[in-house]
Amino acid sequence: MLQDNLLTILILLPTVGALALIGHGLFWKRENDYRWIALLFSVITFALSLLLLTRVGENSDAAFRFEQKTLWIGAIGSYYHLGVDGMSLWLVILTTLLVPVSILSSWNSIKKRALSFYVFMLILESAMIGVFVSLDLLIFYLFFEASLVPMFFMIGIWGGERRIYAATKFFIYTAVGSLLMLVGIIALYYIHQQQAGAGTFDYLTLLDALKSGRVVITESSAFWIFLAFAFAFCIKVPLWPLHTWLPDAHTEAPTAGSVILAGVLLKMGTYGLLRFNLGLMPEMARRFAPYFVVLAIIGIIYGALVAMVQPDVKRLVAYSSVSHMGFVVLGIFSFTEQGMQGALYQMLNHGVSTGALFLLVGMIYDRRHTRQISDFGGLATPMPWFSTFFVIASLSSIGLPFLNGFVGEFLILLGTWLSTGFSYNWVATMIAATGVIWAAVYMLWMLQRVVFGRIRHGENARLSDLNAREVGLLIPLLILMLVMGVYPRPFLSRSRESVVAVQQRVTKSTGAAGSFSVEVQENKQR
Amino acid sequence: MFLLLQANTTELYSLRDLMLIAPELILTVCGCVALVMEVVLPYRKSKWTAYFALVSIGLAAASLASLYFANRDLFPLDGFYGMLRIDGFAILFKAIFLIGAALTVAVSMRYLDVEGEQHGEYYALVLFATVGMMFLACGFDLISLYISLELMALTFYVLVAFTKREKRSNEAAMKYFLLGAFSSGILLYGMSLLYGVAGSTNLGEIGRSIGVALQPSVNELGMMTSGIPLRPLILLGVIALSAGLFFKISAVPFHMWAPDAYEGAPTPVTAFLSTGSKAASFALYLRIFTEALGGLRGTALDWAPLVAIVAAITILVGNWAAVTQENSKRLLAYSSISNAGYVLLGLVAGNSYGYIGIVIYLLVYTLMNIGAFGIIISLRRRGIIGDNVNDMAGLAQKAPGMAAMMAIFMLSLGGLPATGGFIGKYFLFGGLLQRGRLEEKSWYYWLAAWAIINTVVSFYYYVRFIKVMYLGERVADDRPLALSPALRAALVVSLIGVIIIGIYPQPFIDLAQKLITPLTAGALAFR
Amino acid sequence: MMLSLILQQELARMQTTGGVGSPVTAYWPIMVFLVVAIIFPVLPIVLGRFLRPMMYSKTKARPYECGIDPKTEAHDRFTVRYYIVAMLFLIFDVETIFLLPWAIIFMGEDFTFTKFALLEMFIFIGILIVGYYYAWRKGALEWA
Repeated sequence: MLQDNLLTILILLPTVGALALIGHGLFWKRENDYRWIALLFSVITFALSLLLLTRVGENSDAAFRFEQKTLWIGAIGSYYHLGVDGMSLWLVILTTLLVPVSILSSWNSIKKRALSFYVFMLILESAMIGVFVSLDLLIFYLFFEASLVPMFFMIGIWGGERRIYAATKFFIYTAVGSLLMLVGIIALYYIHQQQAGAGTFDYLTLLDALKSGRVVITESSAFWIFLAFAFAFCIKVPLWPLHTWLPDAHTEAPTAGSVILAGVLLKMGTYGLLRFNLGLMPEMARRFAPYFVVLAIIGIIYGALVAMVQPDVKRLVAYSSVSHMGFVVLGIFSFTEQGMQGALYQMLNHGVSTGALFLLVGMIYDRRHTRQISDFGGLATPMPWFSTFFVIASLSSIGLPFLNGFVGEFLILLGTWLSTGFSYNWVATMIAATGVIWAAVYMLWMLQRVVFGRIRHGENARLSDLNAREVGLLIPLLILMLVMGVYPRPFLSRSRESVVAVQQRVTKSTGAAGSFSVEVQENKQR
Repeated sequence: MFLLLQANTTELYSLRDLMLIAPELILTVCGCVALVMEVVLPYRKSKWTAYFALVSIGLAAASLASLYFANRDLFPLDGFYGMLRIDGFAILFKAIFLIGAALTVAVSMRYLDVEGEQHGEYYALVLFATVGMMFLACGFDLISLYISLELMALTFYVLVAFTKREKRSNEAAMKYFLLGAFSSGILLYGMSLLYGVAGSTNLGEIGRSIGVALQPSVNELGMMTSGIPLRPLILLGVIALSAGLFFKISAVPFHMWAPDAYEGAPTPVTAFLSTGSKAASFALYLRIFTEALGGLRGTALDWAPLVAIVAAITILVGNWAAVTQENSKRLLAYSSISNAGYVLLGLVAGNSYGYIGIVIYLLVYTLMNIGAFGIIISLRRRGIIGDNVNDMAGLAQKAPGMAAMMAIFMLSLGGLPATGGFIGKYFLFGGLLQRGRLEEKSWYYWLAAWAIINTVVSFYYYVRFIKVMYLGERVADDRPLALSPALRAALVVSLIGVIIIGIYPQPFIDLAQKLITPLTAGALAFR
Repeated sequence: MMLSLILQQELARMQTTGGVGSPVTAYWPIMVFLVVAIIFPVLPIVLGRFLRPMMYSKTKARPYECGIDPKTEAHDRFTVRYYIVAMLFLIFDVETIFLLPWAIIFMGEDFTFTKFALLEMFIFIGILIVGYYYAWRKGALEWA
């Protein structure tokens, strides 16, 4: 019973929590209870999401688990169809993990309109889980849009000084993208209707029809549909040059908002690329791969270079996101198992380490009410715990071996090197690899100016170190960084078959079998 | 001879005909009673008239329902020598009008108290306007259609001027009256041309005559004729008809009256004007253009490109003009213009998808727009006009429930998924794509894309309300809102409707499909 | 009668020539009406211009108002009551227009129509009475 409806329960539980919060707020009005209720519901959701691991075991095949399918709008053939596979599994768990963490992080910093904050947070959680588990394009679109509204409020109400500008920019950018995706979705529906009789929004039905050749998307339609989807997802990722909303949104958002934004919302873009663009239109993906690779590499270098000169720590982390997400896109469009697995792994890494970085920046901001690098220096003396965590998270973000970032970036670079999807792949690899160096430069330079050295501002000497709650919420992320860096097997082995299925779908018709056999060998070695 | 006459005359007024218009009869009688109640009751008891109006709308709805359930297998039913036709289309639209009228009455009560204009005539006029709309939905003859249109329009001229001490209200009524009368003239000219071509005012007859006139046939001299001499007349008639109807639904370039009239009119009247009156005009439009002129689709006289161009421009102008508005009623007026454009897309599509879209969208639009205006009404208190967008500043803190409802109405107007607005827009755009695929013409796709792009613009100004309500620190004024049980009930009903249609639209779609299908079949029969 | 004959001839002509011709020809009886309507007022004026003696004087050029010298501007505002009375007059005037043909065919050749017509007209008058009562109670008929 629980197992059969697990995904629905996962989606609904946070919303139920939000309703409970509203009810509580209406009748008791006890400000201090809100965060406890929100935490309770999000922790239960996290615990339940771990049950997903029971059916998606190691080396499990690419099929979807926990499937649920009920007719939703019969007239247009839309189903309430949920399911989880190796690709979405860890993203769901990442979501359910980051939400309680960010609720804990806003424990004392969100004073203003706390009820609305936690309500929006829980609704956002529902929407995010929905995005990753929906197997019906219309439902996917619904959740994709629904995640927009709470985030808009979170930036707009609890953000920094230019919050309204940032929130509006965020909303308009992503709404434009997702509307284009809607056009693409409807186009797919009609193509299916035209060739198979009945239109469908069901992902698996569409995929089957396309795989078996019952439905063929003509090249010109595929061109536009691919672009429509890609545009929506690339704004979300964000891929250079569509990234301009991100620094504003991140800088202005409250800490919890930044964590969720970086940790989960950006992944919706790359997840969408992987699931829909590559899965449904592999030929077009191949055709567009060179362009995506070039944009991704520009993003990697550009993000790193811009991050380097940021005077604001949070803005620096935001631009580092542009760089890291560039790696993810690069990995996806390498069309090799290593690259795509690495991309998926890097999504999780980015969620964990950038999330941790945003949390740490938020903690120091709570104490000093500034984020300017020049206002800090020598924090290691008054705040040893903070400094330790900050250094570890930064190193993880750089990609130091034995930390999670290394595994993801290594796999992506390896995959790009092996890729046959585009020429000059070694050039791409070389340039992208410099991104890692740039990351080391800006991160370490920032650490040097913030954490090390001598105390230049008197007020920094009196700062209190992290308290038990703050340490407690960082510890799980830290453990994850170490575990994922040392022992990636439980993660990679679960997603492997699903990723290979997509990868084969893309490479199969190119006749790129030669490189494929090499990859198999590589896998055996690992 | 005598027997023959007898046979004829028994049909003069059969009870069946009267049964067909039972809802309208109930409303008419109740309207008259309301008028008398106004002069009999003292001012402080004027609200009784409002409750009476609500009861009579309920009675009409009940009789409409019984009419539907008794005859649903017999549709379409013709009455009064083909002057009226009761079919699923008519029933659906009548239901929308009754919902709109009930909500309007509910949101009006408190507003009229605040304005000091709590008069029974108001409710009588609303009832009469509703009667006009309902006849528009079932009229099947140019004459009955025109008379119902005028009944509706005349009552609205008075309603717009109802707050007679307000200069803005008077000015609005003047503009609305002059342009409305002008447009009625143009419409009538178009109707007369159609009559000239077809020799009948019955829509079905007109449809047949036009079909025959355009039928290529070989005359006795062996020349091909295809109604060539009638073509300019038909063309002129279609253009004049369209122009008149574009006025009524406030489509560009005949939209100028709408912002002024909407801004100046009492807010509940604006709400009714933008929903009921617009929906009724669409009913008229749909009826004429499918039943009488449906045969022109796909011929040289196809009106679809004309309507498509107007729809495209309307969407553009409405959305872009709304962006810069400061007055919330004016902003919603431009939004209403752009929404007229969206609904026109359903007519361009002209297939069952498009018609379902029109019906669902008009229903949802009625709910969400009256809801939005209801929130604006609650801001109107003695001494505070409250129709500036910035008057909502900080509403989320002062009245979180109202702010949340307004936010949902706005998101629905913008067409965000999980709201009714999305489902409506989905069917409207989907209809276009389907048509484009069927006819293999790409301009349908471009039109849909154009509409979607402009939807993004509309997000900007709908979100502006939300921004002001939620993100503004400042509370515009801390005096309590003007709420009444009826207003609250109306808002909650609208909200529930919008959400239910958004989340589980299946029953509505099924119903619309079942009831609209004959219309589609009729329109496509010419092809 | 003559016009309908012309129309019939025109239609016949159109049919024999295969219907190819300007649709305006079908409307030409109306054109005839138009011409007659223009000639009818213009002709007396033109004739009068030639037939009458021409003598100008100062008295003749002054504005004429029932023999009294005008005291105010010609463009004067009327009290709103005039409009109310005018509207009421219009309504009941229209009522008369409806009542007249009804009265003529009321009895008809047989009496089958009577019941229907009677009912119909009472409904019509009933609605008017409601309006009349409303206007009365609202004070539209009081002048002071």
